[in-house]
Amino acid sequence: MITAENLTKTYGPKTAVDGISFTVEPGKVTGFLGPNGAGKSTTMRMIVGLDRPTAGIVTVNGRPYARHRSPLTEVGALLEAKAVHTGRSATNHLRAVAATHGLGRGRVEEVIEMTGLQTVAGKRVGGFSLGMGQRLGIAAALLGDPRTLILDEPVNGLDPEGVLWVRTLMRELAGQGRTIFLSSHLMSEMALTADHILVIGRGRIIADASVADIIARSSGTTVLVRSPHAAQLIELLRGPDVTCTAMEPGAVEVAGTTAQVIGEAAAAAGLVLHELAPRTGTLEDSYMSLTADAVEYHSSPAASPMASAAPSKEQAR
Amino acid sequence: MSTPTTAPAGAPAGATAGRPGATHRVTFARVLRSEWIKFWSLRSTVWTLASTVVVMAAVSYLAVFFTAREAFDPVTKPEDVALLVALLRDPSLVLTGADLAKLVVAVLGVLIVTGEYSTGMIRSTLTAVPRRLPALWAKALVLTAVTAITAAVAVVLSWVVALPTLHAHDAALDLADPQTRRILLGGVLYLVAVCLLAFAVGAIVRLSAGALAAVLGLLLVVEVMFRTIPADFFRNVSPFLPGTAGHQLLATQAGIEQARATSSAPVLDPWTGYGVMLAWVAVLLAVAAVLLRRRDA
Repeated sequence: MITAENLTKTYGPKTAVDGISFTVEPGKVTGFLGPNGAGKSTTMRMIVGLDRPTAGIVTVNGRPYARHRSPLTEVGALLEAKAVHTGRSATNHLRAVAATHGLGRGRVEEVIEMTGLQTVAGKRVGGFSLGMGQRLGIAAALLGDPRTLILDEPVNGLDPEGVLWVRTLMRELAGQGRTIFLSSHLMSEMALTADHILVIGRGRIIADASVADIIARSSGTTVLVRSPHAAQLIELLRGPDVTCTAMEPGAVEVAGTTAQVIGEAAAAAGLVLHELAPRTGTLEDSYMSLTADAVEYHSSPAASPMASAAPSKEQAR
Repeated sequence: MSTPTTAPAGAPAGATAGRPGATHRVTFARVLRSEWIKFWSLRSTVWTLASTVVVMAAVSYLAVFFTAREAFDPVTKPEDVALLVALLRDPSLVLTGADLAKLVVAVLGVLIVTGEYSTGMIRSTLTAVPRRLPALWAKALVLTAVTAITAAVAVVLSWVVALPTLHAHDAALDLADPQTRRILLGGVLYLVAVCLLAFAVGAIVRLSAGALAAVLGLLLVVEVMFRTIPADFFRNVSPFLPGTAGHQLLATQAGIEQARATSSAPVLDPWTGYGVMLAWVAVLLAVAAVLLRRRDA
């Protein structure tokens, strides 16, 4: 269980985390989602006491992290892949971390096996690939068999097999009643792994809900309609609850009504339809619309067609 | 890489023998053990220790060998001979290499802490020991112990390799003499203090290049500058700078008397000088400790 109250971090004039409050519940995988620079890493660093909050407090299992007598058995954290001296072997790194809590060689061997690092455990970390570095970071996080796991972009750099492994492991650990808190910018990954999602943008919590709620709330179901008579169709459908967004000449995205209603209206007016396709909103879409105003670095519409979809939708409304 | 997908089944909560529990508290002894493992699992530290010993013994041997050769060279002028023989009988000649060895231990002291910042290891260290200060003290303690032993080996080796030459010229060190013992022990204590000074600066500056520049700049440039600029301010401050003050522990009483006779500036007694150096170390370590508590890692 992680509880943050009014957590704030400023670096000089810049506010990285702006008075956020949230609770991460045990027995679930909670995703922490947000664009780059939104404050995800800073928040996670404050949870384990690496950064000191400017204001507010964050506790893990009822106490600030540093007040725990045995912190690694309370929280395991993977913050950045490179939190390891490059000149040391994986085994020695884990031995050194384990020694602070009196954990023996046996536990080190266990986590090496769990993370599949047996063949490279004796090699110096400097030569590790990003994926192996991630595995080592996860191994270190698991050393204390913690009740709470905090992982910042855990699947970053992992091969597909590794991604699947992390997903399975997180689900399993949550199933054992542990608190799992992981950040990602991969919406698809969150949809598969998380039960609950916190969306952060510009240092503020934008959404705090279950995955299903977030999808339903912000995008709902839309219908893509292609027709040579798109303009007439828009006139026909216009209503207080219906939003029509022109996608391209001859294509309209309609929200707030169903394919059946649109089809019947078109038939009644004798309009030709080339396509009538209901689309369930994805987490990706809702994430984009939620964070559209909160991203720090906008790419130009030409460079990123996906990002441009959100602002144009705003305009059409 | 083997197939990790099969592994999670045996994962944490499986209450195996190694399962961590309430007994796994962070204690200072455990943090010390962790720092000990860290110290010995880096090749660079082991190499640095070895080179300290080799550099010191080699330079000391060269100093003794050439002083002896010069002293007993028939072409040397008689008035110089007396001076050279006196130099040969000075126990600190055997520690000539300490001046070079101090640079090696300074580099060790800096890198042992800045290396954690440059690689990101510090985040693992402080996550495991979130109270932070035990990690700093444990690291300093390991460094002190290892440097002391290494310096002792270097001093003994320097003495041993010089022994045949000194013996041949009837200048063998008298280990029963308290002054000789003080100087030999001083070689060890001086190197330890230099290393801790560098460690404290490393912990304050956190960047390898900056900390190395600060420490080596102080020992090699600033202190020499203060010693050589003929103005009262520099002359009066010079004896209290850490390297200069601490080095008094390697000076003979005769040398100190002579310096007092020829200079108007203060000349510190051996242990007073070393005390001044330790005060520098203590203050810098205190600053490092306060900053470690306050700063984001």
